[in-house]
This record gives sequence, structure tokens and C-alpha cells, in this order.
Amino acid sequence: MKDGRQTQHKAWLQALLSLLVPGLGQAVGGAISRGFYIFLTEAVLSGLAVFAAAQRPRYPDYGLSFHAYLQLLGASAALVIFLLALYWLARRVSLRSEFAKTAAGPTFAALSALIAVLVAPRMVDTVLAPEEQKKLFALTALFTAMVVAAIWAWNIYDAAQVRGKAHAPSLTPFYLLLIVGIITLGARIVQINPDKAIREYKDTGVILSRIVWPWKVAFDYKASQLVAEAKVQAPCPPGATPPPVNQPQEGKPWVVVTPTCGELSKRDTKGKLTFGTQLTIRGGGFQPGKKVHILWENPIGNAFTPRGVGPTEIVVGPDGTFSTQLYIPDVTIPSMAQGAQIHTLRVVQRGTAKFTGKLSKAMKLALEKMLESIMMGLMATAAGILLSVPLSFLAARNLMHNIHTTTEGFVGGVLGLVGGAYAGKRLADVLTPLVGGLEKAPVLTFTIYVVLVLGLAIGAYRLLSRALAQAGERLHPTLSLSIGILGMALIGGGVGYALGIGYAHGILGITRGAEAAQAMAHSSGMFGAALGAALAAFWAGRLGANGKIPIGQFIYAAVRLLLNIGRSIEPLIWAIMGVIWVGPGAFAGFIALTIHSVAALGKLYSEAIESIDPGPIEALQATGATRLQTIVYAVVPQVLPPFTAFTLYRWDINVRMSTIIGLVGGGGIGFLLIQWIHQFQYEQAGLAVWLITITVATLDFISANIREKMV
Amino acid sequence: MLVVEHLTKVYEDGTIALKDVNFTVEDGEFLVIIGLSGSGKSTLLRCINRLIQPTEGRILWNGVDITQANDAEMRRIRREIGMIFQHFNLVERSSVLTNVLTGRLGYLPSWWSLVNFFPQSEKRRAMQALERVGIADKAHNRADALSGGQKQRVGIARALMQDPKIILADEPVASLDPVLAHSILGYLEKLNQEHDITVLCSLHYLDLVQRYATKVIGLRDGRVVYEGTRENIRNITDEEFKHIYGQEAQRLSVGG
Ligand SMILES: Nc1ncnc2c1ncn2[C@@H]1O[C@H](COP(=O)(O)OP(=O)(O)OP(=O)(O)O)[C@@H](O)[C@H]1O
Ligand SMILES: [Mg+2]
Repeated sequence: MKDGRQTQHKAWLQALLSLLVPGLGQAVGGAISRGFYIFLTEAVLSGLAVFAAAQRPRYPDYGLSFHAYLQLLGASAALVIFLLALYWLARRVSLRSEFAKTAAGPTFAALSALIAVLVAPRMVDTVLAPEEQKKLFALTALFTAMVVAAIWAWNIYDAAQVRGKAHAPSLTPFYLLLIVGIITLGARIVQINPDKAIREYKDTGVILSRIVWPWKVAFDYKASQLVAEAKVQAPCPPGATPPPVNQPQEGKPWVVVTPTCGELSKRDTKGKLTFGTQLTIRGGGFQPGKKVHILWENPIGNAFTPRGVGPTEIVVGPDGTFSTQLYIPDVTIPSMAQGAQIHTLRVVQRGTAKFTGKLSKAMKLALEKMLESIMMGLMATAAGILLSVPLSFLAARNLMHNIHTTTEGFVGGVLGLVGGAYAGKRLADVLTPLVGGLEKAPVLTFTIYVVLVLGLAIGAYRLLSRALAQAGERLHPTLSLSIGILGMALIGGGVGYALGIGYAHGILGITRGAEAAQAMAHSSGMFGAALGAALAAFWAGRLGANGKIPIGQFIYAAVRLLLNIGRSIEPLIWAIMGVIWVGPGAFAGFIALTIHSVAALGKLYSEAIESIDPGPIEALQATGATRLQTIVYAVVPQVLPPFTAFTLYRWDINVRMSTIIGLVGGGGIGFLLIQWIHQFQYEQAGLAVWLITITVATLDFISANIREKMV
Repeated sequence: MLVVEHLTKVYEDGTIALKDVNFTVEDGEFLVIIGLSGSGKSTLLRCINRLIQPTEGRILWNGVDITQANDAEMRRIRREIGMIFQHFNLVERSSVLTNVLTGRLGYLPSWWSLVNFFPQSEKRRAMQALERVGIADKAHNRADALSGGQKQRVGIARALMQDPKIILADEPVASLDPVLAHSILGYLEKLNQEHDITVLCSLHYLDLVQRYATKVIGLRDGRVVYEGTRENIRNITDEEFKHIYGQEAQRLSVGG
């Protein structure tokens, strides 16, 4: 009895606490994380809403003042409490009837919705001054406020029920309210406005229709046309010799204009037209029943349709002739032209456009760029696979976590990277003048470099290992190990550097010329040095494999970090960087997609590796298999199916991305698309859109098919 | 001869799985390790071929200390030690033949694996190993298409590829039915008797232990609490039994 009273007491206290600070009552009642999340939710929702309200100066149409917001909040809370009270009453009244009890919930929900719809707008009227109302994205703000209030109310009820972590009521109402809140706020922030979308459809309709059905411009059309011309002189000074009058001809379109000499119409500054000489025009030999167009060509060869001086489109009679009258139009004659000028009156009858079966220039260009896009996606996927597979092994925890090295191994590796490169540079400095004659004999240079350097390296390696083996008994093991590791790293770095230079001087010398080779020698050398020294450091590290330094975990963490960075930056942003780096074009797009693919695939691959069955790995290690053999025979077969699936999926994404990466200068069809849009060539843009759609859909289909067969 | 001296294993989380374990295995013995779940049987077997790095102690294999071997030496030692597992540890998606061939990797150059190359002689050897365990007809099936008993036979064939001088078997029959259990242990016994391969095997059921072991070691909480010959284990007293398995333990049999 006493116990019961105490719980009663506690429930009231918790409810009160939660009334003051949402979540506090739950926390006091023992459900600390529950209380924390409730508080967090209320804080974030209110914060977001207040933030939205604070945007008023920027979006005067949508914002709402904090004060008004608080008022709305209060009103909403009142409404929610009213509804809850209603619900409680309904439950009370219907307690005796089972049916009424079950019906109470849905009825209540429907009723609440109805009340919210009917009352909410009134509430806005009551709470807000008219000028404030204008600034209100009314229902959104209201709903958000209501959600905050509703969660608050629920939280009070919830707090009264909480007895420790284990004994707490269902969270479903909370989640429902939260979803409503997020959707409302989201709609507000994105400024979803269906009304606007409908209102402004009409303007876009014309352009949209050009984009949606662009096939006119996909092909070349040849319009056969019948043309006849007559010369007219204007102005007509006395004593001029006007052009001769044409004569009707057989089997050919003709036009006869009289007189062939006359005055131009004139337009004064107010735009009023004073007619000049009227011409009588007769023509024949045209297709009956169809229109002819009259064009006027001024002395410097610009043709136009004369306006306001008579009919310019005449239907040809059944015998193929027509006649009409036309004033000589007003023509602005270039100031250099003096005196009488010869104009041309042209009669044109366009036949139906004939399909030539040839693709238009725009279509050819679009197809070419589409191919470029697809290739870009393909190459990026291929490069992505090549680079991400080794990375993914380094980023797989289960393979890396038990790789250790000794201090000497670690230090030797690092020193080897730096010292090896330096040693290699010295070697290259000595070798280059010795070999010489780069301009004359690049192939020879390269060969000598390779043979000499590899020879030296093998010699050094032999010498070192023999010396160490002999000194082994006398030297301290740590010292001998240190020397061995450092020596290996130095050999690796040196060889790498020298070979890099050799590559630049040789291969690049052939393909790009001596000058370019010289310029690139150093960077190639450094790259080679890094590779060589890394390799040597790796082997050296193996010597110290029983050490304590968890080098594998370092590498794992570093690679993971790199992959995460690569993935968090969107391909479009990588493309912008790529454009800065190598200039606009498909190569920049390729770089962007490759970087993103490597990061994304690396992560997916490494997760596939992490989830494999460790049993076979253990079994193979037990047979004495090396790490490489273990990977080939125990890891690869297990990860092949997921790798294939991920790769297909990535290929899909890459081709999709490659079609729009051109928007930021990354080459491919996107580049063309954005250009055409900027030039208002909507049909052409439509072609690009269609091609992209077709490609992506086809690809979707293909990859879905392959995936189905794979699994 | 395998000599284990003062072997201690402390896992990174502080669990002491083995504490000062000492014993000797003569060539040609069928030594069975018994003990409750968690007593350290798997840890002990994995320390011997250093799938687990021991914390302290020495393991001498024909006079060479396994715990101090470098990578190259370890490879040479491991290929003389075959291992079979409770859950077979086959590569399920690979063919039976490939699974058996991987037993030979310790003898083959590392880079051959890059081109997935096994010489014909090794393939013949693998077929012979499969014939010895009686499933040569399944050579080209995928491993996941086999039954449990067949999988364990593949596991044995894989170990045979190593030309092992000793076989470690970690509860090799725990996921098999009694009839299969006898058949698998029968193979091991045959290898032990006819080919002079030493066997180190952990088992759960006392009647199996009594039937196959030539020597028995009992582990409890990482310590050796029992050592006995075939005669000793066949006449094990209740007191000894409870000393190994705890006071509440009941003798169980697998029948067969
Ligand atoms: N990787 C690990 N990390 C930490 N503790 C471990 C690890 N592996 C095993 N242990 C612990 O070491 C002890 C011995 O485990 P082990 O697997 O060797 O026992 P077992 O006798 O083989 O048991 P079972 O019969 O169940 O296979 C157990 O207490 C176990 O929890
Ligand atoms: Mg075990």
C-alpha cells in the first residue's frame, strides 16, 4: 500500500519534471538515454523551427517571427491537449463496450485530423496579425509547432509511466510524431511548393515539348524547293536603264515583275510607311495548290520577307500560275551604296522536306559524346577495380590486424623511403652523364639503365645477404636485422628512383621527345623511388614480422581514412578539381570518377573481405602457405561473387555519372548538354537527354540481367 | 618427437587459456586431448603450429623451437604438420580438387599462385589422396555440394598432401554423426598405424577416446590435470573422470 502510494507520488513528480524539461522525468525515472533522446529531439525540432523562423529577412515570403511562433506553439499545445482530453473522455465513456473501445482509436484519429484541418486555419487567424499571416507558410509552421507540442504532451504522459529502463511504454507514438515533424520541416526547408509548380507549368510547356520530342533535329532533311527570281531597280532615277523584263518559260518556274524599275517605300521616324512603286507579279511553273513565298533580297544579298506592302504568301492556281501585287518594300540601303541599286525579288515554293537518312550534325556530335561518356565510365570502373583491389586488402581488418613489425623494421622502412630515394638520385646523377646521348639513342639509354641498375641492385642484395649471414654469429641479432632492413629499403628506393629516371629518359624520350623526358624525369624518379622503397620496406618489414608494432593496424587506419575522404567528396566536386588539374575534358571526368570509384569500391570490397569465413584462411596458413597463396586460394574465391556484384553496380553508377559529369567540364555528353541549354538549343539538348536516358536504361537492364545470372 | 615445455597462452583480453603446460608426444602416438569446453584444447593445438602465438614456453619439434622460428622456417615446419578442423574449413566455392591441392602450397613457389598454377604431378598426387579417403569421384564437384562426412575426408586429403609427419585434429568429428565419427577416426587410425603419422586429436566423447587413443591428456582451465596411457583411460575411475570434467559431469557415450 505504502509502496503503491510512493510510485504514485513518483509518477506525478516525473510527469511534472517532464512538463518543465522534456525527457527529464524519464531520466529521473531511470531511463536515462530515453530521456536524453526525447530532450534532444525536442531541442533539435524547436531549434530547426526557430532557425527557419529566423530566416525571415532572407525569405520574407516564408519566414515567421519568433514571437508569432511561440504563440502558435501555445495554441497548438492547447489544441493537442484538447484532443487528448477528448480521447480520454471517449475512452471513459466507451469503457463498457468492447466494440466502442476498438473503434475509439481510429475514430479519434479521424476526428483529430478533421479538427486540425478545420481549426488550424482559424487558429492562425486568431493568433497572428494579418501582416504576420502574409509572411507565413501557414500550415507548415503550424504543423511543426504542433509536433513539438504533441511530443511534449506525450513525453509528460510517458514520464509518468517510466519505471527504469525495463519498464517503459511503447515508443511508437513518439516515432510517428517525429516522422511527421521531420517531413513538415523538410518540406519547409526545401520550399516544396506544388502550387508554384502548377502555376508555372505553362511557361515551361513550350520548351519542355521541344526537349521531350527533339527528333526533328536528329536527322538531315533535304527540302526540294522551286525558285524563280526577277531583278528590280530602285530607286529609279531618270535615264536609268532598268533590268529587262523576264519572259514566261516552259517546264521551269518563272516570275515576271513589272515595272522593273521603281521607288522604295519609306518609313518615317514614327514608323509610318509611305508606299513606293507598286509591282505586278505574275508567276508560273509552280506546283498547283501550294503556297509560294515572296522574298526580297537587297543589293548586298540579305533576303527577307517584306512586311506591310502586300501579300507575301500566295496559293498557286490549278494551272501552276499565280499573280499578285506588291509595293517595293522599304529597304535600308547601306550608306556606302550610292544611286540606283539592283534588288532581287525571289519567289520560293518549298516542297515537303525529304528524309535523307543521314544523321544531323547535332546528332552525330551527341552520339560521339555519348560514346565518350560510356567509355569514360568504363575506363573509370576498370581503373577503379585495379586500384581498389589492392587497397581493399589493406583496408580489411581481418587481414591486417595481426601484421606486426619490429622497431627496426618500421624505422628501416621509413628511412628506406627517404634514403632510398636519395641514394637513387645520386645513382641517377652518376649514370646519366655516363650513358649520355639521350637525344641520339633513347632506346639504348633505357636498356643500359635497366640492365645496369638491376645488375647493381642484385649484386648489392647478394652482397648484403651474404655479409649478414657471415656476420650473423658475431653481430647482435638486432643490429644485423637493422642493417638488413635498412639495406633492403635503400636498394629498393635506389633502384626505383633510377628506373624511374630510366623510364623517363627512355620511353618518354621516344614518345614525347627529349625535352619532355628531361622535364618529367624527376617526377618519374620520385614515383619509382616510392614504389621501390615501399616494396623493399615491405620485404624488410617481413624480416621483423614477429615484432610488436602493429604496423598492419596503422596501414589499415590510414587506408580507411583515405577511402572515407575519397568517398565523402562527390564525383562532381572531384570533377571540378580534375578540371583545375588537367583542364576540361573527358580526362578530368575520368579522374573524378576513378577517384570516387576507388574509394567506394575499396570500402565495399574490404567489407566483403571482412565478412568472409576465416576458417579456410586458418587452414591454409596451417599448411605452410604464404600470405599471397592464402589470399589467392582462401580469400579470393570467397570474395569473387560479392566483388563482381559490387563492380557491376559501380559500373552502373559510373556510366550514369559520366553522363552528367560534363556539366562541370568533365567531358562527355553532359558537356554538350549544358552548352546546348545555355544556347537555348532545346531540341539539341533534348537529343542529349534522350540519349542519356536510353543509355542508362539499357545499362540498367544489362547489369540487372548479369547480376541475376551471377547470383 | 614433439616436446611442449612450460607453454602458457594469455589472450589479449587477459584470458589465461593455457598455464604451464608440459607434455611429450613420441613419434607414432595417437594422443587424445580431453577436457571441458573452454579448457584450452583448441588453443593448445593452434599453438603447436603457431596459428596462435604462444605467450611463454617452448615447443620443440624434432629439436627445433617452433616458437622462435622465422617466416621461412615456420613455412618448412608447418608443412610437416597437417591440421584438420571441426568445421572442415574448406573453401566452399572451390572444387574438391583445388581444396586438396591447397594442402601442397607449402611446397610450391609463392608466385605460381598468381597464375593459379599447379603442376600435373601435384594434381596426380591430389587424386591419389582423394582415392585414399574414398571420394575420388567427387574431385570436380564444388566443396559446398558435399555432405559433412565427405567434407571431413576432403580435409584429411588436404592434410595428406602435406606429407605430414604429424596431424593435429581439433574435434574432427564433433559435427558428424556417430557412424561417420568412427569412419573418420578410423582413417586417422589407419594413417597413424600404417603410415606412421603421429596424431594429436581433441575429442569429446569418452568411448571414442577409449577406442582410439594410445595416450591421453586431460586439460582443465588451461592446466594438464590428467595423463594416461591406453590402459589407464580404458579403466578410468569415476574420481579421475570428475577431476577432469568437474563434479557434476556424467559419462556420455556416442554409441556405435
Ligand atoms: N581469440 C580469443 N581471445 C580471447 N579469449 C579466447 C580466444 N579464443 C579462446 N579464448 C578463451 O580461451 C579459453 C580456451 O578456449 P579454447 O577455444 O582453447 O577452448 P576449447 O577447449 O577448445 O573449447 P571447445 O571445446 O568449446 O572448443 C576459453 O576461456 C576461451 O573463452
Ligand atoms: Mg575448441
